[in-house]
Amino acid sequence: MDTITLRRFDLADADAMMSWASDPVVTAFTTSEPYESVEPLLAFIRDTVLPHPWFRAICLAGDGPVGEVSVTPTEDRCRAELGIMLARAHWGKGVATAALKRVLATVYANLDGVERVEALVDVDNAAARRALEKAGFQQEAVLRSYCVVKGLLRDMVIYSFISTDTLVE
Amino acid sequence: MEAEAEGDVSLREFTEADAEALFEWASDPRVVRFQRRDAYAHVDEARRYIIDHVLPHPWYRAICVAGADRPVGSISVKPTECRASVGYRVAHAHWGRGVATRAVSAAAAEVFAEWPWLARLEAIADVENPASQRVLEKAGFTREGVLRRYVVLKGRPRDMVVFSLVRGDREEKPAEEANGP
Repeated sequence: MDTITLRRFDLADADAMMSWASDPVVTAFTTSEPYESVEPLLAFIRDTVLPHPWFRAICLAGDGPVGEVSVTPTEDRCRAELGIMLARAHWGKGVATAALKRVLATVYANLDGVERVEALVDVDNAAARRALEKAGFQQEAVLRSYCVVKGLLRDMVIYSFISTDTLVE
Repeated sequence: MEAEAEGDVSLREFTEADAEALFEWASDPRVVRFQRRDAYAHVDEARRYIIDHVLPHPWYRAICVAGADRPVGSISVKPTECRASVGYRVAHAHWGRGVATRAVSAAAAEVFAEWPWLARLEAIADVENPASQRVLEKAGFTREGVLRRYVVLKGRPRDMVVFSLVRGDREEKPAEEANGP
């Protein structure tokens, strides 16, 4: 498997980002709607991604971005929430797992006061759950009737990796 | 608004006149031990809290017992999307009698009736607070798991047990007489 790297986004990445941000299959389990044009995505990069405390592009072997991963501090300063999206062409190759491992190895040094990174994922999102588990996240609970996604009430599994957990591999 | 009653526990809205009663438990280190806020040192802090936080809050109630008007605790429900989180505190003198349990049950009945969009009522209790965990279990909540280093309390990240009551858990109760909006 190619080495993955994480780097900051740039406005010039908007077209590459469309490959996953416009894909309804990629956004199916998230509360995001797929982007239909690049202009609102440029606004998202400018207004949310660039000023964000930790938002990274997932790149394969020095190529352009194939996905995004973010760790967002919450109202509780010890806790941050992880989000990840990957272009469908790169599913099933361990890219998400590798990206998550890289995140966990670096993010705690970058976000002051954060001791917990958590991820909420749909109970039926088997691929995402596998990636989180292989990267060393621990399942803590199934949160019943947690949120409405695409009009349906969903149970969400909550995973965490805390700062003293052992990095995998 | 009709007060929701459960045994001899009833819930009503707060007024500024409740500042002294609120101060009684909000100044007690035993009561605030598992809460973010430090114990109040002066009744003016309680008055400010009622004005700035309680009165504008979407759902904040005083807990009264045995028909007495002076509150012995408080319970609040904070809505987010399709869910809401409940928090409560009771004066130490009234611990161990099921007051919090009855208040949580009454609050749950009221918010599920008042908010048709509500699918999930949730609560967290410190892993070292078994009394609060029992309150939620006795009120019919389901323990879902432990969230590690979930919140900072008194300067330290704490592990919290998460509980929920979802709309499907609640038995259909016979329709209560409708009162008010």
